[in-house]
Amino acid sequence: MVRKFLIFILIASFSVIFINLYQNFKGQDKLNDLSTYYAENEPQELGAQNLVTSIVVTYRGFDTLGEVTILFLAASIIGFFLKIKESDKQKKRDLRKTSEILETASKILVPLIFLLGVYVFANGHLTPGGGFQGGAIMASGMVLLLLANPEKNVKHSLFSGIESISGFTYVILGLLGIYFAYGFLDNRVLPLGQFGNIFSAGLIPLIYTFIGLKVGSELTNIVGNLKETQKETE
Amino acid sequence: MVAPIYIITIPLGIAFLIGVLGKSNKNIGGMFMLIALACMSFVSAQWFISFMTSTQSPVYIYTAGFKPPFSINLLMGLNEAFFTLIINIATLLGAIYLYNNLKKQGTNAMSVFLGFAMALNVMVMTRDIFNLYVFLEIASVATAGLIILEQGLKSTSAGFKYMIATGIISSILLIGIIFAYNYSGTLNIDGLIEANIGILKGGAIAIFLILIAIVLELKPFPANGWALDVYQGADSGIGAMISAASASASLYVLYKLFAIAGESWYPVIAVLGIITFIASNLFGLKQTNSKRLLGYSSIGQIGLLITVLGLSPYLGDKFEFIAVTLLISHYLAKAILFWISGIVKAENIKNWSNLRKKPLLVALFGTAVFLLLGFPPFPSFFGKWELVMQLANSGQFAWMTAILVGSFFEGIYLFRWFGYTLKLDNKELPEYKMKLNKIIPPAIFGVAAYILGYYSGTFVDAAKGLDYIPLLFIAFIALINFLPAWVKNSISLTGVILYIAVIFPEFDGDLLRQIFAAIFLGGAVLALFAGFYSKGKRSGFHVVTLAMFAGLAMLLKADNLLEIFYAWELMTIGSYFLLIRGKKSMPHGYSYMMFSLGGSYALIFGFALAFVSFGNLDLQSLSGITIYPTLAYSLMLLGFMTKTASFGLHIWLPGAHGEAVVDIHFMASAILLKAGVFGIILVLLGMGTEASYAKYILYTLGWIGAISALIGNIAASFQESAKRLLAWSSIGQLGYIVFGLALMSHLGWMAGIFYTATHFLYKGVLFLTIGGIALKLGTPYMYRMGGLIKKMPFSFIAVLIAIITLSGIPPLVGFAGKWLFYNAIISQGLYFQGIVVLFSGIVAFLYLFRLIYSVFLGQLKDEHRNVKELPLCLLIPIYILIIAIMIISARPDFILKPIGNYLLAYFPSGALNWNGTMASTGLGYWDGYWVMIIVGVMFTLLFGWLLILNSKSKKVKQFNMVYAGEKPFRPETTHMSYNMFSGYNKALGFFMMPGVTGFWNWMSDILHDTANYFRRIYSGNGQSYAIHIIAYIIIIYLIVF
Amino acid sequence: MEYISLITGFIMLMIGLWGILSQKNIIKIIIGFTIFDTAINIIIISIGYISGRTAPILDKAVPVKDAVTKIVDPIPQALVLTSIVISLGVTALMLAYALKLHKYKNTLEINKFKDLKW
Repeated sequence: MVRKFLIFILIASFSVIFINLYQNFKGQDKLNDLSTYYAENEPQELGAQNLVTSIVVTYRGFDTLGEVTILFLAASIIGFFLKIKESDKQKKRDLRKTSEILETASKILVPLIFLLGVYVFANGHLTPGGGFQGGAIMASGMVLLLLANPEKNVKHSLFSGIESISGFTYVILGLLGIYFAYGFLDNRVLPLGQFGNIFSAGLIPLIYTFIGLKVGSELTNIVGNLKETQKETE
Repeated sequence: MVAPIYIITIPLGIAFLIGVLGKSNKNIGGMFMLIALACMSFVSAQWFISFMTSTQSPVYIYTAGFKPPFSINLLMGLNEAFFTLIINIATLLGAIYLYNNLKKQGTNAMSVFLGFAMALNVMVMTRDIFNLYVFLEIASVATAGLIILEQGLKSTSAGFKYMIATGIISSILLIGIIFAYNYSGTLNIDGLIEANIGILKGGAIAIFLILIAIVLELKPFPANGWALDVYQGADSGIGAMISAASASASLYVLYKLFAIAGESWYPVIAVLGIITFIASNLFGLKQTNSKRLLGYSSIGQIGLLITVLGLSPYLGDKFEFIAVTLLISHYLAKAILFWISGIVKAENIKNWSNLRKKPLLVALFGTAVFLLLGFPPFPSFFGKWELVMQLANSGQFAWMTAILVGSFFEGIYLFRWFGYTLKLDNKELPEYKMKLNKIIPPAIFGVAAYILGYYSGTFVDAAKGLDYIPLLFIAFIALINFLPAWVKNSISLTGVILYIAVIFPEFDGDLLRQIFAAIFLGGAVLALFAGFYSKGKRSGFHVVTLAMFAGLAMLLKADNLLEIFYAWELMTIGSYFLLIRGKKSMPHGYSYMMFSLGGSYALIFGFALAFVSFGNLDLQSLSGITIYPTLAYSLMLLGFMTKTASFGLHIWLPGAHGEAVVDIHFMASAILLKAGVFGIILVLLGMGTEASYAKYILYTLGWIGAISALIGNIAASFQESAKRLLAWSSIGQLGYIVFGLALMSHLGWMAGIFYTATHFLYKGVLFLTIGGIALKLGTPYMYRMGGLIKKMPFSFIAVLIAIITLSGIPPLVGFAGKWLFYNAIISQGLYFQGIVVLFSGIVAFLYLFRLIYSVFLGQLKDEHRNVKELPLCLLIPIYILIIAIMIISARPDFILKPIGNYLLAYFPSGALNWNGTMASTGLGYWDGYWVMIIVGVMFTLLFGWLLILNSKSKKVKQFNMVYAGEKPFRPETTHMSYNMFSGYNKALGFFMMPGVTGFWNWMSDILHDTANYFRRIYSGNGQSYAIHIIAYIIIIYLIVF
Repeated sequence: MEYISLITGFIMLMIGLWGILSQKNIIKIIIGFTIFDTAINIIIISIGYISGRTAPILDKAVPVKDAVTKIVDPIPQALVLTSIVISLGVTALMLAYALKLHKYKNTLEINKFKDLKW
């Protein structure tokens, strides 16, 4: 109890920093120079309708490469951290039977979810969404599949294969920017196309596709690992 | 040249690729990983070399082809090239070291390792602050993955604590970044610097949050419990990576972001750093787990580097040199230490004695320890020197003191640990293998430490005159360590003799240095000659012996204070290893090192004050120090007196010398102690007698000398071990010398210098003879000897002559010394001290009598019936010394006249008057030549008469006697030599109370208890560590704002 | 609007911190972290918000030439995407750690894992 009280005092005094920050905060009424530049020049420079996407994939594409790397590393770490023995993998868990509704619905929903995922990442440069969102949607489809068929194991080799190849392609696409455009991760390797068209904005849709595949397979792998490791305890 | 972007894309691409490629064969994955790391090192090296050798200008890498602030840019300049180079080399070698561990976990782990290396490089190169955050997170996640490379409860719980801590820290960083963006409208670091948002309150808070997060990444005390757990819990190969690679990157990030912060942050950072440095080194004192201890040491060193960064306004243009040398030393040493800790696999530092089974590991360990503590020839030596000098130059004496105190704490545990490694028993400990991939990385770093040490010396003006030829010779001897002792001995002897031929002409016209050179280098020849007695390999002996003698020679050759300090430290290293070679020397070698370390720090402080007073490092700057002169001279004297073992600082000597074998004992006592005398002479010559403070210092010094003489001689009388007796006697004799020098008069100095030379001669004889006998009989205890006169007549004569000299009885030369001494005392009217010195001279007869009686006279013990005379390799040096004694005894004017003339330059009044061979003062006269002749004639006549008188007497066998009505049957019953002076012991025993030892033990206990009490804040609970972090932020916030 | 969301973010930050610092159960601590991270995301978004404006997507609703006056700051939105993904990765890793820790000691009490100390 004393400990909790002290923690409360600690957090209360910590909040002083944020109260100060809040008091000195002034909401903006116009864009700052940097975002004004983006708003004015992005359509000609990169040709993506979604400004956020152009920043994420190109202007600050190097951040995104890092982001992808974090997910990749997390999945890799979990991959070897929670690895279980081959003998454990074959173990049957005594699970409650899945409801019929879930089983049936999954058969219909999973393809639709996948389709939605593909749509979200393929249109990342036009509408809200992108590789991460699309990948997450696809992974949620895989989670639904796993829930419906808890006996099934995730095919790790397949997903890590997809993951590796899309990651590698992403780096290669980035390098193409050095030779065929103006810098690493430049999207102007391909023609910018018609503004607002699905085939526009240079490499952005391509990159987002690979990111989507990569994120989807990484998240699937993580979920699969978290699920399988439970066999070890039983 | 290869574009810097490939430092990032190659590892990343391969990290992704080996997920598919390496699945079937893990070795393919491993090879790809190593190739990637090698490529990274290659690219950095290429850039680094190009920056160093040509006028290459820094290169910006614009991602996506847009200039900042629209897009993220990276920079490759000299700093970036340097940091990426050291990071990439560390990760490459680290990957080789961890190869099997990584392979066991598969390609996933290899990808993680590559991601780790890549993220550190980007942290160094990026110029965008949000990008910095992203890659910092990658590095954290990768570290969290590497911690559990060896899975187990310890590593997993350490990893979780790490994740909690870094989770909070990086969130704080992110909040800071987003508010910095709010106020500045940019994420580019250069843009942020320009925006100068610190003037706004909100902007200042944003900067605060960013900086405090980076500081927390560097594990400041006390918010660093998580880091200690990580060092302890993770595999030592990972510990090496965190300590060497991650810490370097984080330090550079702090340096980079410092430009945003503005000047008000410098003192804050310096204080945070020094607290960490001192506290974690203090807490390390009680630590017994090797990896955790390394953690404490790592954190401490990083604290020191943060301090250096914070003090950079005081360091001027030397800042970069200091920071780089200290960083590179930490980097090399910590990597070596972690790596070898993974080979020996001993958690408890006491089990590190297992290291001795592989001499290479011991050599690496020693290299790392001395490298960390800033000893020559390593880069840290020059770094620490410049740091102290520059701080002194800016008048920052408090900072100097704090840094030296922290370093001293570090020395305490590192040398204790090293002592354990060198001395503790290792028979019970398990065998282990030294795999090639595990030994190559530390070996490379070990070699690099020496090369970089030489290289950093070329950047220091004062070090340009250093003579590296002796060091190269030592390196050569180290390489042929596998040869038998006699080969190495012959080569060393040849080397020393050649060096003497080179070096002696340099001292032409400088009598003082000639005398000391004769002692040091002549002593070296005799000692090495005596060394032929030993059989076998004598592994490492010649390297350390020559290191000590090289240090002594350099001390004489030194033209400036840096060279003196370099020589002094080099000699300390050599002598430490020599003294710790004895069987039970562990505690004594340790206390020797502690006093030496403390003494070195006192010296460097004094030198710094001299440097500031004069503005240069020439030897002349020792005369007339104007800034805190009392402190400066006292500290320098204190520093040099650690080697003369004067009262208060003497407790290491009896044990250390008493345990040393014959030739080491000779070197340590007859030669090494004189280095301290040389130092005191330099200081006193500089100080003079004029200044008001000089009087007090000299008065104190005189008393220290007198008390050392008294205590040394009294203690010597009560020893049972002949070697300890001689050791205590050295303390007493050195006390005379110090006393003589403290008189600061012509006669006093003449006595002091004359004593220095003669002490070398007669003590040399005693050490070699008694040491040889102790070695032959297998015991140093005098009550187990006796009646050796017939077995060892030559030794007997040698000891007899030596003790006659020592006791100062005419006709031998000891009398000349005493005569000068009493003249000096009386002419200066120091009666009270004079009485003490006179009394101690009388006490000396007690132990001298005991020495010759117990060993050579009395009854021969049964077990010694077959003892032979000492070997020739000992007798020859002994008799060379005896001949020297006889010559000087007959013609003391040979040496006294030049000394007198030499001293006229410093003390024009009060010289001896010479009339032929007769010397006279106002108090009387003395003619050694005639005394010798008269005594010689009388002795011959009496001896001849005795021989004639006794020619018909009956020879009595050992047991042919009746003793108190009984016939003795065992020699022990008639040879009273145990506790010989018990009567005196009752009267004077209180002098023997271990008061000084008690004082130092008490100091040590206080330190250890403090450490033990306060380190309990590291409770082991990850949540408490998080609370520490939050509390740390609040406290710093309240202080800054 | 941005003031409300900013203050919400700060309050959530404190709530998350309370969870991290006071809860004994490791899973609850991880939940504390997710709240903490979400709070930061809200703060980031509030920084970029300009009242009365719309999302930075230049479709029919926002003609290219009016973009500067009609959209909110796109940069924080890009940053928040990165931040979300990072916290996702970190949370997943923390959960994996929690699983392993539970396996070792059969408990999730954080103060039971004090094998390394001092």
